[in-house]
Amino acid sequence: MNIHQTVYTLLAALAVLAYGTSFSQPTGVAEAGSDRGGGNLSDPLIVPEVPDAPAPRLPDGTPDLSGLWLGGGPNRDISQGLLPGEEIELLPEAAALMASRRPQDDPEAHCLPTGVPRVAPYPWRIVQDPPYGKATHLFFLFEGNIHSYRQIFMDGRGHPEYVDPTWYGHSIGHWEGATLVVDTVGFNDRFWFDFHGHPHTEQLRTIERYTRTNLGTLENVITIIDPGAYAKPFTVKYTATLRLGWDLMEYICNENNQDVSHIVGPGYRDIETAAPPSQ
Amino acid sequence: MRATAALILIGALGLGVPAAAHHTFIAQYDPNRPVVMTGTVTRVEWTNPHARFYIDVADDNGDVTNWNLELASPNVLRRYGWTGRSLQPGDRVTVDGTLARDGSNMANALSITLPDGRKIFARESAPVLE
Repeated sequence: MNIHQTVYTLLAALAVLAYGTSFSQPTGVAEAGSDRGGGNLSDPLIVPEVPDAPAPRLPDGTPDLSGLWLGGGPNRDISQGLLPGEEIELLPEAAALMASRRPQDDPEAHCLPTGVPRVAPYPWRIVQDPPYGKATHLFFLFEGNIHSYRQIFMDGRGHPEYVDPTWYGHSIGHWEGATLVVDTVGFNDRFWFDFHGHPHTEQLRTIERYTRTNLGTLENVITIIDPGAYAKPFTVKYTATLRLGWDLMEYICNENNQDVSHIVGPGYRDIETAAPPSQ
Repeated sequence: MRATAALILIGALGLGVPAAAHHTFIAQYDPNRPVVMTGTVTRVEWTNPHARFYIDVADDNGDVTNWNLELASPNVLRRYGWTGRSLQPGDRVTVDGTLARDGSNMANALSITLPDGRKIFARESAPVLE
């Protein structure tokens, strides 16, 4: 055994000793170093505080929306985000469709995409290409509800005359001051806006207006335009929050989805819109 | 569902329910039927959309029922500091959970207590998404 081998052997022995020691320590709530892990949400390593700082900008002055975000769209009931004076007026056919929807039919429960503007309860990342200077593309990388992405064309192109309907549609974006405006058409009618089952048709067009108001906050004001399902457009506002120190993680939704056959009860819509019990 | 010695139904409301799921929690689990059960872990599935583990619970006669217990997704649990080895077959655990509506031997596990008193996967303070 030469000197290098001896050193490596000693280092390996020390590593094994240290590893073993971590297991022999008294157990606590958080066992750092143990393969059993542990922690709680008061741990700043798990939910780091975001410094109070202004929204960053790229060297050329363009607002920098990059980062890992949580939220920023409806999840439970899109009407929760209605701006003052806004209302949702379903056309009769859409109202009937919504009333017929059961929680077990929600595409999200079947590991299908959220569509727009719904968000999953998992983080997502905004990435621009090229990383500096004028972007030609923005990508929204979703951890869930399925591992997927949205592609937003920033190169000045318009929408094609015809777009085959898809879950995320065809998105073009431009800047209005510090606000990114994303115009999307070409949606399929398969996703729901929320757990309540708010529907839409292939006529749906969304206008999202993203403004990073400070380092940790991304406001999203969304106008829903769908003359096939709603009597008039309506606008909602949701806010995404920055998750510093987090990374995207793998989330392969349909590898072991046992839930659907067990979803047999009423949904949030049934409970939240039910009449109060009589006295 | 057969009553078991180690299975105690609590008639009170008040247990927190997780909001961060890919499906409507209350349509699958009944918040009015919280449950506490003690048993031995037989299998752990560190999978999406939910991590799951299975425990054998014995009744007064020694008859054993295997329960399927749902956790959050591995990505959420890992961000809370847990790993795929936090819970292991053979662990004796007490589970605070919520029973499935369909009467199957399934529940959602809100927290798990090991014999030494440590609680793992506890999610009482899980962030609620708007």
